Amino acid sequence: MDRWGERMTISEIFLGKQRYMYLVKGLRFSLGVTALSAVIGLFIGVIVSLFRISQFQPFSFITNPRLKKLSTFNPLAFIAKIYVTIIRGTPALVQLLLMYYVVFGSVAAPKIIIAGIAFGINSGAYIAEIIRAGIEGLDKGQTEAARSLGMPYGMTMYYIIIPQAVKKILPALVSEFIILLKETSIVGWIGASDLMRGADNIRAQTFRAFEPLIAVALIYLLLTSVFTYFMGIVERKMKLSD
Amino acid sequence: MIKIQNLHKKFGSLHVLKGIDEEIHQGEVVVIIGPSGSGKSTFLRCINRMEEPTQGQIWVEGVNITDPKTNINKIRQKVGMVFQHFNLFPHMNVLQNITLAPIKVKQLSKEEAEEKAYQLLDKVGLRDKALEYPNKLSGGQKQRIAIARALAMEPEIMLFDEPTSALDPEMVKEVLEVMKELAQEGMTMMVVTHEMGFAREVGDRLFFMDDGKVIEQGDPKDIFINPKEERTKLFFSKVL
Repeated sequence: MDRWGERMTISEIFLGKQRYMYLVKGLRFSLGVTALSAVIGLFIGVIVSLFRISQFQPFSFITNPRLKKLSTFNPLAFIAKIYVTIIRGTPALVQLLLMYYVVFGSVAAPKIIIAGIAFGINSGAYIAEIIRAGIEGLDKGQTEAARSLGMPYGMTMYYIIIPQAVKKILPALVSEFIILLKETSIVGWIGASDLMRGADNIRAQTFRAFEPLIAVALIYLLLTSVFTYFMGIVERKMKLSD
Repeated sequence: MIKIQNLHKKFGSLHVLKGIDEEIHQGEVVVIIGPSGSGKSTFLRCINRMEEPTQGQIWVEGVNITDPKTNINKIRQKVGMVFQHFNLFPHMNVLQNITLAPIKVKQLSKEEAEEKAYQLLDKVGLRDKALEYPNKLSGGQKQRIAIARALAMEPEIMLFDEPTSALDPEMVKEVLEVMKELAQEGMTMMVVTHEMGFAREVGDRLFFMDDGKVIEQGDPKDIFINPKEERTKLFFSKVL
């Protein structure tokens, strides 16, 4: 027979009825969603940032100076900008619920997939801006030097710009992934059983809020600290080659 | 070798080049001087289309480079450029800096490219720095490497955009020596510079630019002694 409320010990809260399994399963789900959305976000981020810095001007054949706006119009950059504006300008929770109730409203799909796509699209906008800033922050002379040697645009990006940009943006990318991990704690809204929801389940069964929430906070803290630590090693290794 | 016809360049409403007509011959060393803002660098940068000319035509070895159909990357292989701020690739060592374009663009084998690179490093006197990264080099060394990097593509024309302006005074000479040697070997060169000594000694022809035009030109030795235009006189009276 469970005691509950004030008189419960920590071991009763977590071990009783194997309640810790809520956290274990939740953790697995949270990490899964984070990994999936990080991959999707990185993919989208790279593409969208390339769109934004591209020099694609399909109407450049129009030479009429009064239509200068049109002749220098870059549809790729325009689409990318709209995407970034919408995603960054609306709450992730709204995006998640739209994905679940509207986009996947009549399609049955695992919640981890739906959440992964929603957070991936969300994170992609931030990652795109991080990458764009990294590339645009590089000295223009680097591009000029490569181009003056006869290297085409793509080759210049691949051998000269991207390797330098990666080093520059890594710290910002690390913090984006940390934010992403924490952001996934709202997937409970679509009924997914993540770490946060795990704590909530324990609270509901034991009427104890403090212990489960602190446990979840510590798990998030531990994860982000370990991740930061390893990325710090990677960053230092990259600096050595400078 | 290079023919420039009615070259204009505008940056928005700023009219930087206002009609340049010149011809540069094989093996000639043309030095370009003039006050800042006169369009010297812009002029030079139009020759390999680092800047897009707004109007006018440029032929490099008979190819009209202002024609949109021209493959500019092919032209740039023949026209080397050296920048004021060196622009070495910081994530690559000296050898990689020099061999990257020959390997990737000219499809040389790594061995061929490296052999060539070591020859060039000998030429600029920096063979022992082959495996260093650029941040370990002095300004003068960086610029000599940048020259070697441009030469690795075996260009027929070399453009120098104020190659010694970012250098500490004691490093200017080592760079000018390399350029002088190159001139003596018969390289066609266009040099934007503030080094009057170099202009006088090495230049075959001098362009004095002001306000987007070449307003006086001729043998540097003559112009330095006996400038004809008022503005040239005024400029020399300030810098000499």
